[in-house]
Amino acid sequence: MSVLKYLDLYFKLISAGVRAQLQYRFAFVMRIVGLITSYTGTAVTMWIMLYQFQELGSWTFYEMLFLFAVAVLSWGFCIILFFHFRGLDTYILNGTFDRFLVRPINPFFHFMAMKFDVASFGQFIFSIGIFIWVSFELHLDWTFGKSLFLLLSVVGGILIQGGLLVMISALAFWTTKSEQFYWVAMYPARNLTNYPLVIYPKAVQWFTAFVVPFGFVNYFPAAVLLEKETPFFPENMGYFSPLVGIIFFAIAYYIWMLGLKRYKSTGS
Amino acid sequence: MFRFRLYWTFTKKAFLRSAVYRFDVWSRLGSNLIFLLMWGSIWTALFAGREEAGGVSFESMLTYIVVSQFLSGVNGAGTPLWEIQEKVRTGDISLKLMRPFDVPLRYLFADFGSVAFYILTALLPLYTVMFIFMDLTLPSSWETWALFIVSAFTGFLIRYCIEMSFGLLSFFLVETGGIVDVFYFAMSLLSGSVIPLWFFPGWLERMALYLPFQGIYYIPNAVFIGRISGIEILLSLSVQLFWAAASYLLLRFVWKCASQKVVVQGG
Repeated sequence: MSVLKYLDLYFKLISAGVRAQLQYRFAFVMRIVGLITSYTGTAVTMWIMLYQFQELGSWTFYEMLFLFAVAVLSWGFCIILFFHFRGLDTYILNGTFDRFLVRPINPFFHFMAMKFDVASFGQFIFSIGIFIWVSFELHLDWTFGKSLFLLLSVVGGILIQGGLLVMISALAFWTTKSEQFYWVAMYPARNLTNYPLVIYPKAVQWFTAFVVPFGFVNYFPAAVLLEKETPFFPENMGYFSPLVGIIFFAIAYYIWMLGLKRYKSTGS
Repeated sequence: MFRFRLYWTFTKKAFLRSAVYRFDVWSRLGSNLIFLLMWGSIWTALFAGREEAGGVSFESMLTYIVVSQFLSGVNGAGTPLWEIQEKVRTGDISLKLMRPFDVPLRYLFADFGSVAFYILTALLPLYTVMFIFMDLTLPSSWETWALFIVSAFTGFLIRYCIEMSFGLLSFFLVETGGIVDVFYFAMSLLSGSVIPLWFFPGWLERMALYLPFQGIYYIPNAVFIGRISGIEILLSLSVQLFWAAASYLLLRFVWKCASQKVVVQGG
C-alpha cells in the first residue's frame, strides 16, 4: 500500500477515535484542565526555586521555562502518536493484540493509529502560551530560520521520545511487560530533562546525549535558540536533533518489528 | 470497637504479597533514585559551591532532599490513588463493601504491610549505604531520631487520609483529572518535599503553614536536619496531629457520602 493510502487511512481511523472521545465532553475538558494544572505546577516550582537563587546552572527562570515548553510541545505530539504503545503488554496478555495481525496493513501502523488522545491539547495550550510569554520577556526574535529550526527540533523530539516509547513497548514481546517500564524508567527520566542537563553529573549528561538521546529533545535545541553554552559538548549540537531523531526512531522500529516476529499469541 | 487482629491480617497478607511480587516492588527503586539524582543535582547547582544559603548549610540541604526522597518512597509504596479509582470505576469496591470490615482502615493496614516490605528490603539498605558514603548529617541525639520517626509516621497518616479522600471522589465524578492534579501539585510543592518552606516567598510560606501538606514532608525533614529543634518540635508535632485528626475526619465524611451513594445506585 502506498504512503498516501496509509495517510488517508490514518486520518480516517483517528477521526473516529476523536469523535468517540468528544462524546464525553466533561471528561475531555477536565483532563485538559488537569494537564495544564500539573505543567503549571512544575513551572511554579521552577519559579520558587529561582525566586531565592536567581539561576540554575546559569539558566534563568525564563530560559528554563522555554526549555520546559520545548519538551512539553514535542511530548504533546508524542502522546497523540505513540503514548498508547506503553500499554502493549495488556493487549498481549489479553490476547487482543492478534487483531492487529489479521488485517492487511502494517501491524505497527495499525497499532499506532488505534488511538489518538485529544487531551494533548492541554500540552499545546500550555507550551504555546509559554512560548509567547517567554518571547516577550527575553525579546526573542523569531526569524524564519529560527522558527523552522524549532519546528524541526520538535519533530526530532517527537521521534526520540516516540522511539523510546516504541522500544519500551517492544519489551512486551520478550517480557510481556511494558507499562511498568515506562513508569519506573522513562517517566522519571523524562522529568530529568525538564531542567538544563548541565546540572547533572557528567556521566548522566553523556548518557542523555549519546545513549538515550533525551538531550536532543529540548536541551541542545533550546541552547541554540537562546544562544547558551552547553559545557562538555561541542557548540550547536542542537542542529543534529532531527537526524538523531530519525536514526533513533529507525532503530526503535527495527527492534519492534524484530519483537513482532518473535511474538507468539498467548491465546487461550 | 476496633478489631486490631482482623486488620493486622491484612497487614501480614500485604507483606507476603509484596514478597511474591518483589521484583515489581523493587523496580520502584529505579524511579525513586532517578528523582533523587534530579533533586540532588538541582540543589547542588542552586547552591553553586556556596557553603550555606538561607541559614542552612549545603550538607543539611542535601540531607533534607535525601530524607525527603526516602519518605516519598515510603509514601508511594501503598495502594496508589489510581488503583482505588479503578476499583470504584469497575465496581470492584462493592465486593469490599459487603464484607464486615471498614474499607478505609482495611486499605490503611494493607498499606502498612506493603510499605514495611519495601522499607525493610529496599529503602533502608539503600539509604543506609547512601548515608555511609555521602557527606550527610545525622541527628545527634536519639530523641531526635524518635521524634523524626513519630513525625514521619504521622505524615504518612495525613497523606493516606487525604489521598484516599481524593481517590474516593471517583464515586461522584467520572473524570477526576483536574482535581487529582491539584492534589499532586499540593503534595509535591506545598508539602515542601522538593523545596523547603523557608525558601518560599513569604506569602506562600504562610499559606503552606496553614495547610496540612507541610506535615507530610516538611516537618519530618526539618526535624531530621535539626532546622526545627527544642520546644518547636513539640509544637510542630501537635500541628501534625491536629491535621492527622482533621484529615481522618475528612476521610470518614467522604467515605460516608460515598458508601451511601453506592447503596442508592445498587438497586
